[in-house]
Amino acid sequence: MNTVIDAHDVSKTYNLETIPVYAVNNVHLHIEKGEFTALVGPSGSGKTTLLNMIGGLDKPDTGTVYIDGVEITKLSANQLIEFRLKNIGFVFQSFNLIPVLTARENVEFIMLLQNVKKSIRDERVKQLFTQIEMDDKMNVRPAQLSGGQQQRVAVARALASKPKFVLADEPTANLDSKSASNLLDIMTKLNNEEHITFLFSTHDQRVIDRARRVITLVDGRIVSDSAAVSTKHEKADV
Amino acid sequence: MIFILAWRNIWRNKMRSIIIILSIAIGLFAGIAVLALYKGMMKSRVRNVIDSEVGHLQIHNSNFKKDYEPQFILDKGTEVLKAVRQIPEVKLAAFRSITTGMIATPTGSAGVQVNGVVPNLEYSISQLRKKIINGKPFDPAKRNEIMIGQKLAKKMKLKPRSKLVLTFTDTSGNMVSNALRVAAIYKSDNAPLDEKNVYVNIEELNALLGIRNSFHEIVILLKNDADVEKIQQELRQKFPVYQIESWREISPETDLMVKTVNQYSYIIMFIIMFALAFGIVNTMLMAVLERTREIGMLVALGMNRLKIFLLIFLETFFLTLAGTPVGILIAWLTIAYLNKPGLDLSGMGREMMSSFGFGTMIYPEFPIDKLSGVILIVILTALISCLFPAMKALKLQPVEALRS
Repeated sequence: MNTVIDAHDVSKTYNLETIPVYAVNNVHLHIEKGEFTALVGPSGSGKTTLLNMIGGLDKPDTGTVYIDGVEITKLSANQLIEFRLKNIGFVFQSFNLIPVLTARENVEFIMLLQNVKKSIRDERVKQLFTQIEMDDKMNVRPAQLSGGQQQRVAVARALASKPKFVLADEPTANLDSKSASNLLDIMTKLNNEEHITFLFSTHDQRVIDRARRVITLVDGRIVSDSAAVSTKHEKADV
Repeated sequence: MIFILAWRNIWRNKMRSIIIILSIAIGLFAGIAVLALYKGMMKSRVRNVIDSEVGHLQIHNSNFKKDYEPQFILDKGTEVLKAVRQIPEVKLAAFRSITTGMIATPTGSAGVQVNGVVPNLEYSISQLRKKIINGKPFDPAKRNEIMIGQKLAKKMKLKPRSKLVLTFTDTSGNMVSNALRVAAIYKSDNAPLDEKNVYVNIEELNALLGIRNSFHEIVILLKNDADVEKIQQELRQKFPVYQIESWREISPETDLMVKTVNQYSYIIMFIIMFALAFGIVNTMLMAVLERTREIGMLVALGMNRLKIFLLIFLETFFLTLAGTPVGILIAWLTIAYLNKPGLDLSGMGREMMSSFGFGTMIYPEFPIDKLSGVILIVILTALISCLFPAMKALKLQPVEALRS
């Protein structure tokens, strides 16, 4: 397996001038290609901060983050934008589609930023909408879609650029249980069939149950990692 | 896609966009209307200068205009006049004898320029007959008649049939006086000239000056304004000893006024667009601040700063440009409507307008020649107006924007 995310000793502190609060404290994280990992923990445990640093949206105070072998903590703001465009897919909590573009245009937009040819774009868009089972909603604007449908389009958009992995920050937080289940089905299917790496933060038990690896953060520290536990169990079994 | 995104973004808040588009349209209309008015005024002023004051070209003895001394007649003037009339581009050529003198009445006196003219020629070349507001044109059967301007008539309390004494020096330096009767009072659009110029019959003036059949000035009207420089060059080559001037050289203040007003009209346009720029900046700033999260998301997804800037610029540009055709159309329709009947500005003060050489009827003309300049100003306004909102957008940190 290939290492996609490799974070070493990553820390992030807020309120440095008053009382320092460790949002993320000496975190080591290693994610391989094809993993379907949930980052769980109570509110304020540092899930989003850690995801932001892995996604190159924020910089750690100390530590390094490697994505597919590239140390992104050393990249400039402009280099990070370019890096994110080519390597990372994002799914945000509150859908965050561009409201004035249709579902199809939202998905196509990322490929346009990457200067992908029209014929390839068309093919990819068609394929993605089939995968998210929304072929009939391609030309509809986000306001006319349900929350679940919007989040599925967001997943399609995240995948449009063929990223190294997809970061999803509480993707089901604003969805009803049926929509959340549908979204998870699609994400699981993409992970199983296309080996797309997903790392998502959540406190939704339904999501946690579907994850193959669960990492628990409390007060900015990793307190448990199911991968580590299973490795220990595997060793014990041997 | 950025173009589509920018265009659709401006229609997110329709009312706000329509208001700013309308204000740009009205601002542009006002600017173009001012340009049209200026163009109409300048055109009318230039036409006045050419058609009723100095003509397109004038020929003098090269010493004459230094002190207007009557001995500096045009040598071989008749031959020159004949040659001028043979030039195909020449519509009309007239001649004048000119001297400076003083008119006196029992109530006062005034310095004047005495123009000895051939009445019928003068009526054609400077439309003197059309300018008569009181009295009758020169009567060939009568002698010692004079035509004076309204302003001078008022100053000297003269009316048709009034008597006055005209005094000047002849070519020998002797003082000559002649009693004349006012035939008519004329009024042009140039009050200062009306106060200064009086017209008498050339034969009578020449006799008093002692220059017989000679004259001091040839005034030329061309068929086409554009031929002035060409004919001037041609005449200068043919008659190098004479002073041959175009209307621009004879009336430099008019030329300067046209050039200055051209510059002023751009300044006015700039001021209008500068004022509008604040409205545009305000609208765009609101649009950016309302979309902080969305712009942060675009940066997070990988939209670089140049494209963010381009997006904000295009939104501002479309917003500005959407108002441009509307403004131009309203201006064109209004100007087309007013062009024929003209705009009567007598309410602004006939005297004031006349003292600057302008008539009170202005025929606004669509400034098609300045349209590219106007559009350039509009584009510049959009570019300048987008800078502040774009800077705001560029400063957004994706993490903070997404958190907002």
